Parts: sequence; structure tokens; C-alpha cells
Amino acid sequence: MEASARATLRALMLAGAALGLEYLRVLALRLPGLEAPALLVGGASLCLLAWGRRPAELGLGLDRLGGRLLGGLALGAVLLLPAAMRGGGAPALGPGLAAAAVVVSVGEELAFRGALQAALEEVGGPLLAVGGGALAWTLAHLLSHPPASLPAVAAAGLLLGTWRWACRDLLAPVLGHLLADLAL
Amino acid sequence: MKRGVPLALAAAAYVAVAWVVQPGFFDGIAPPAPYRWVSPPPQFQSSNQPPLPGHGTLKVASNGVVDPGTIFTGDGQASISFVPGSFEAPPDRSPISVEIRPTANFPQPSGITLVTNVYCFTASAPLSSGKQALITLRLSDQMPTPSTVYGYRDQGPWEDVGSTGSAAAFSISTRTSWLGCFAAGYPSNVRQTAQGARLGGGQALPIVVAGAIVVVILAGLPLALLRRRGSPAGPPPPGKRRSRR
Repeated sequence: MEASARATLRALMLAGAALGLEYLRVLALRLPGLEAPALLVGGASLCLLAWGRRPAELGLGLDRLGGRLLGGLALGAVLLLPAAMRGGGAPALGPGLAAAAVVVSVGEELAFRGALQAALEEVGGPLLAVGGGALAWTLAHLLSHPPASLPAVAAAGLLLGTWRWACRDLLAPVLGHLLADLAL
Repeated sequence: MKRGVPLALAAAAYVAVAWVVQPGFFDGIAPPAPYRWVSPPPQFQSSNQPPLPGHGTLKVASNGVVDPGTIFTGDGQASISFVPGSFEAPPDRSPISVEIRPTANFPQPSGITLVTNVYCFTASAPLSSGKQALITLRLSDQMPTPSTVYGYRDQGPWEDVGSTGSAAAFSISTRTSWLGCFAAGYPSNVRQTAQGARLGGGQALPIVVAGAIVVVILAGLPLALLRRRGSPAGPPPPGKRRSRR
């Protein structure tokens, strides 16, 4: 098989696996009392999709650490900005759910902005990587989010994906996503 | 700088789009299904579905202790959990029957604003002395956040039974040593934040969008510049196809 065909197949399989895991997690969330376990297992499973990639390919690394952390705080601030300015907010998460939300944030970033975006960039360059990654991320939230929220989910995916491409960094999207999940 | 432009555009687009969406749209901690009201507020009357009751039984184990368990309403809006031995076991060791019933008939609360249905919890046996049940009420994402759970026995009055916080998003829990009717709410003289409130764009939106652009650019440009200068652990320049190991 040609290298490009292999890369395409790999990207499609990654996208399919990520979507499947997200849908399974959402279905499990609907069972009473299973919120935290579903989030934990779902998030951990998503992390596995990055298996086999070098940290640098995923945008991970300890170089430029200060900048990455600052970037994460900035992304978190921007993600939270609309809710903060409107003065609204969801009820605070309990400790179990908060811990699970951390795992989901890391899992989603590793899977979508990390592994999938890297695979899509190998197939079709940065435009496909950012756009395709955001599209897959939005599709992954179809079951869990009301239709009115999906444009915001897509826009968040585009922002995090653009950062990943522009700065070759995944640490900031992970941190920003995590802060947003804990606060929203 | 070339990469700063799409980054700024993405930040601006996000803030503009997210501005019109209520918070809480990440990762399965999304706004829940529409709340089912016994007496829906005017804005929900057209689409309201009636709330469902719940029923369950707790067996008496061979050692004479009543089993633990959780009973939910059919729509998951209310639940009650018991630890082992929460009930006094009946002499004939018959199972304990527990009912959860949403009700429209309750004493009018004074100085309290309720933001959920009133649910009445009954059981075929009394709670054991010193034992508590955990009551969890789901909240509507369109109503103000309650500060506590209120309850009453028999015909009232309402009393503040406190809150143990939320074990899940959009829920509130409390521990109680008696069974009766419960609802979440807040003191009427306290201003609560309306979760479902929507603000228009007005003057604030452009300022917030501009702020978001500045924040992202300020944080992203140094990182992008550092990356361009080359980092030993960094990946190859963008635009080039990268191959896996």
C-alpha cells in the first residue's frame, strides 16, 4: 500500500476510533451513578489513541515550558471569557467528577489535537489538520451536547487546533481545555 | 506573525460564537435534558413533559440488616440512597418499599424560592435511629442555582436541611435523618445568578473579542517565535510532511 494511502487510512481509523469512544462514553454517562466512571474510562481510552507517537509529534515537550504554560492559561482565559463576562456558570463539580473531567480533557487533547491532527497533517497539511480535527471533535460532541452548543464546540476545536498548529504545542491546549472543563 | 493572524481569528470566532451559548458545553458535562416540571414556569409550558415517580424495594439480608440501595425516579430527576441498616427491619423480614413522588400539593414556602419540583419520599418502614439517607435532586439548567435543599414533614413547615454539594453536574444533594418532601431552592431575599440568562452582545462583545485576541496573540507569538528559531526537541517546520517512526 502507498504511504499516502496508509496515512489516510490511519487518519480515518483514528477519527473513527475517537468518535466511537466519545459516543460510548456519552451513552455510559446516561446510566445513573456512572458519570464519573464513564468519564474516567472514556478519557483514559482516548489517551491510548496517541500510543506509538513520539511526544514531539504530538506537540508535547518540556522545552519552552514557560511559554506553553502561559499559553495554556491564555487559552483557558479565552475559553472562559464569554461565560465569565456573562456572569453565568454551571454548578461546581464534585471532586470525583472534577478528577474525571481532568482525564477527559487530557484524553481529548491527546486524541484530537495530538494524534488525529498529526495524522491529518501527514495526509493533507495544516488546513486539513486543523479543520478536520475540529470537525471530528464537533461530531464527537453530537450526542452529548444540544445543537445550539455545537457551533461553540466547533469554534473551541478550531481555536485549540490552530494553537496546536501555530505553536507546535499541545501542552497549552491541554491546560486550557482542562481549565475550561473544570470551570464550565 | 503569519501564524498569529489565524490564531487571533480563531480566538475572536470562538468568543463571538460562545457568547450566545449558555456555559457548560464541554465534555459530557453538557446542559442536561429538559427538566420535567410538575408546574412548569411559563417559558417551559409548551414543551413540558410531566415528571415521573420512582419506586424500589430494599431486601432484608439473612443477618437481619436491610440492604443498601439507591432508588431513582423514572426520569432520574430525584433519587435516594441508603447505607446498610438504614431501615429498621420489619419483624417478618419483608422487603422495604420506597416511593418517590413529585407533588403539586405542598405547603406554600415562606421566604423561599424553589427551583425544582417538590418530591415526596416515603418508605414502608421508619429510618433507623442515627441513620441518614442521601437525597439527590437534579436541577434545571434554565433556573437560578439553588443554595440549599428545603424539606418538610407531614404538613410543614419548610425547613432548611442543608446541602452536601453536588456529586454530579446540575444536581444538589443533602443528607437527612427523616423522610418527607424535599425541593432545592434559595432564600428569596438573596439574589441568585441565573444560569440560563442570556445577554445580548451590546457594547461588551467587541471589547471582549478584542481582549481575547490580545491575550492569545500575547501568549502565542513568543512561543511561535521561539519555535521558529529552532528547538532541539521541536518537530520539523510546519508545512512539511512528517513521517512516523
